[in-house]
Amino acid sequence: MKRRTFLQLGGMAAAGAFLAGCRPANEKMIPYLIPPDEGVTPGVADYYASSCRACPAGCGILVRISEGRAKKIEGNPLHPVNKGKLCARGQAILQELYHPDRVTQPLRRTGARGSGEFTRISWKEALDILTGRLRELQRENANDGLALLTPQLRGTLAELTTEFMRTFGSPHHVSQELLGLDWLRAATLRSFGRPGLPFYDVAETRYLLSFGADFVESYLSPVQYGYAFGRMRQGRDTVRGHFTYVGGRMSLTCASADRWMPARPGSEGALALGMARLILAESLYDGASLAANGLLAADMLRQLDSYDLAHVAELSGLSQQAIAEVAREFATTRPSLAMVGEAVAFQSNGPESVRAIQLLNVLVGSLNRTGGVFPDGASPDGPTDSFGELLSLIEEMHAGRIQAALILGDPVHGVPSSTGFQQALAGIPFIVSFSPLLDDTALQSDLILPDNSSLESWGDVIPLAGGRESMIGLMQPVVTNLFDTRQFPDVLIAAARELGGNMAAALPYATYLDMLKEAMKKQAGFKGSGNFEEAWVDLLRQGGLFQTGRERESGYRWAAGTLLPNPARPVFAGDEKKFPLHLAVYPSTARHEGGGAPLPWLQQLPDPMTTVVWDSWVEINPRTAEGLGISFGDLVEVASPQGSLRLPAVIYPGIRSDMVAIPMGQGHRDMGRYARGRGVNPLELIASKIEGAGRQPAWNATRVRVTRISEKGELVTAGNPQGSYRSELIEI
Amino acid sequence: MLGIIAVVSAFMYDLPLDLRDRSPVQPLVFSHKVHAGKDGIQCLFCHRYAEKSPVAGILPVETCVKTCHPILGLNIKDLNAYWERRQPIPWVRVYVLPDHVYFPHMMHIRAGLVCANCHGDVASMEPLTRHVKLEMGWCLNCHRQKNVGIDCWMCHK
Repeated sequence: MKRRTFLQLGGMAAAGAFLAGCRPANEKMIPYLIPPDEGVTPGVADYYASSCRACPAGCGILVRISEGRAKKIEGNPLHPVNKGKLCARGQAILQELYHPDRVTQPLRRTGARGSGEFTRISWKEALDILTGRLRELQRENANDGLALLTPQLRGTLAELTTEFMRTFGSPHHVSQELLGLDWLRAATLRSFGRPGLPFYDVAETRYLLSFGADFVESYLSPVQYGYAFGRMRQGRDTVRGHFTYVGGRMSLTCASADRWMPARPGSEGALALGMARLILAESLYDGASLAANGLLAADMLRQLDSYDLAHVAELSGLSQQAIAEVAREFATTRPSLAMVGEAVAFQSNGPESVRAIQLLNVLVGSLNRTGGVFPDGASPDGPTDSFGELLSLIEEMHAGRIQAALILGDPVHGVPSSTGFQQALAGIPFIVSFSPLLDDTALQSDLILPDNSSLESWGDVIPLAGGRESMIGLMQPVVTNLFDTRQFPDVLIAAARELGGNMAAALPYATYLDMLKEAMKKQAGFKGSGNFEEAWVDLLRQGGLFQTGRERESGYRWAAGTLLPNPARPVFAGDEKKFPLHLAVYPSTARHEGGGAPLPWLQQLPDPMTTVVWDSWVEINPRTAEGLGISFGDLVEVASPQGSLRLPAVIYPGIRSDMVAIPMGQGHRDMGRYARGRGVNPLELIASKIEGAGRQPAWNATRVRVTRISEKGELVTAGNPQGSYRSELIEI
Repeated sequence: MLGIIAVVSAFMYDLPLDLRDRSPVQPLVFSHKVHAGKDGIQCLFCHRYAEKSPVAGILPVETCVKTCHPILGLNIKDLNAYWERRQPIPWVRVYVLPDHVYFPHMMHIRAGLVCANCHGDVASMEPLTRHVKLEMGWCLNCHRQKNVGIDCWMCHK
């Protein structure tokens, strides 16, 4: 055989093999083993309306269900808050349902606390342990030895927990969230004499001035404000609203602004008063508004005398010209609107600074006006000092007066360790966690009573700062329970029934659903039994009770008298010489305070500003980094008076040179395979008692020092997946 | 040589070949001839979702074992073994359309087509065999004859 023929034949054989390999295998077709329930048609999807509780905004969702399984989540177009839109976190709650590390039935601790050794027990045993312990407290007349820690609940669930604790006879019910809006409620109460949150009419305003309010990623109701911001910019034919952002770090919101004013941390209140003084001095204010609010321009000008332009420019580190320009634009482009966010509030002088910014809205007449600020109709009440309550509870815990703690949520991760919370918790003899995953709190607890995922739960979700009218979103189980889990409120009701006596009398419901229906019946104004069932189904179909037409009867009026806010000089934890940089912690866009960390879709979602995935990082200004010899991706140590952390550095031009920033949400000890041991928790660096400041939370008032450790930061970014041996992460 | 491979590849690429097994071996010897032919069971009795869903569906194992066969006094060992193991039968698909084609059974049934139009005379087939070529031209032929739309988006959506 010729060599050529041999090669030809060989090639053809190879080609033949290749073609045969191309032939696709027939797929399998797997029938049901047991016929599906009535109403399930394979291949045809059903859609159920529910509500999202991934953040307090409470958007409406539509869940697509195929063959009894939840497949996809989109926004509910009928819901007034999100109007059919939904953020990444809302879409990702699907993974909460299918998380491979969910706690599938009650667990009792067998090993040491934190060891993660638990035994599976039945619900009957679990409830016996819980009620047995509660009965013991009753017998010993130590009813106030019970503590209940929850996030800030609203609606029926808040009623239930309050009733439970009140009837049991314990005052230790704390509803605390790290980024709770207590500061905004408290400031609104002092400025306008009424509790509740504001609703900003961003869509209709012509000049938006945001003091650290990151409303497109985390502030109040991000989906709603993102939508409103689009309308403000492009929704009107002749007007494109102008947007100025004040704050030391460029957030995603700030990146959408026309002008960035990187004021020194803690100087925002003084800056606002400087602007106010200029507006008054140049008579650019709204006279009618001042008169209606009982304020006198001359009097105000006298009080603000010390906030002259040169002084304010020096405090804030901005140029006089820029401050004057923004103040004039803000006062002359009506309607204009000033917003204030966490970056300002969590400074030592936060409460007064927030009020200084509220005063700007009074000056330009933006109270209760289209394009201005209204009282929120949906969630009028809420805690105003939950951090103070938490600190008092920690003192009680240290004093050994708390015998049992019921904990919903993950405060072990979400409360800065400088408060001593974690240490105090270790001294409590009996801890119950309701976490659906083995999170940091569940690891420390003695009994875990796993809650349903939100797609398996009943509930009413009252949107936070959702609009001018009152509204209630409803949550319904869209799939049957995957595991042997029970809803937190159902456990409380069952425990009350077991305890009997006044507890059973106070909560006379068979299930939480009964209680919820009762509450909705009242809300919807149903008398008698009528055909409420029909109306109830309609409410579920719509996703809640909207268009109530019930607006808050009155608007805002300055109620603080003629005394104007006067923010003190900011104070910081940490000596300026030893700790030269300000630390800003901010909620990560995808993971927020930490609730999104166990969901791989959110871990894999690149941060919009830095494109980092699956990790924590510290943002450093290029000039500062050069001085410290740090380059992109280096491992650095960030040390504060409270402690130190090691994490990779991101060289970030969008931050002041005297600041560094770390996103929250990572650094869980457990919480499932996707969150475990990933990144760091910056709250470990935060000081919570600052000399010269009150007891209000001041998460952004800590100073740090940054040192380079090595070049191996192992940072994974979308643009540089090869930069690390963990590049496989980018493909998950 | 390279030329040959290139030509063959181009040929493969250009022709929408329907290469899957036309009469695959099934995990159980199931006879459509007996069920649909001799016993005269209607197609839609077992493939009951065809009128209301894009997919036709197959009877759940429980229905075969617990409802139908006991009535007839039948006891098929291999089938019962699946039920006792609580395992669904992994049937092999004979008709497969790629993911980029949307084919809803219910629209075709509602339009009055009989199953045999596409699936052939199943009642006389011992092992089920595909006689048609599942290619776009074949679909379009029928769509043109019946004067239904041939817009791209009708099927490729």
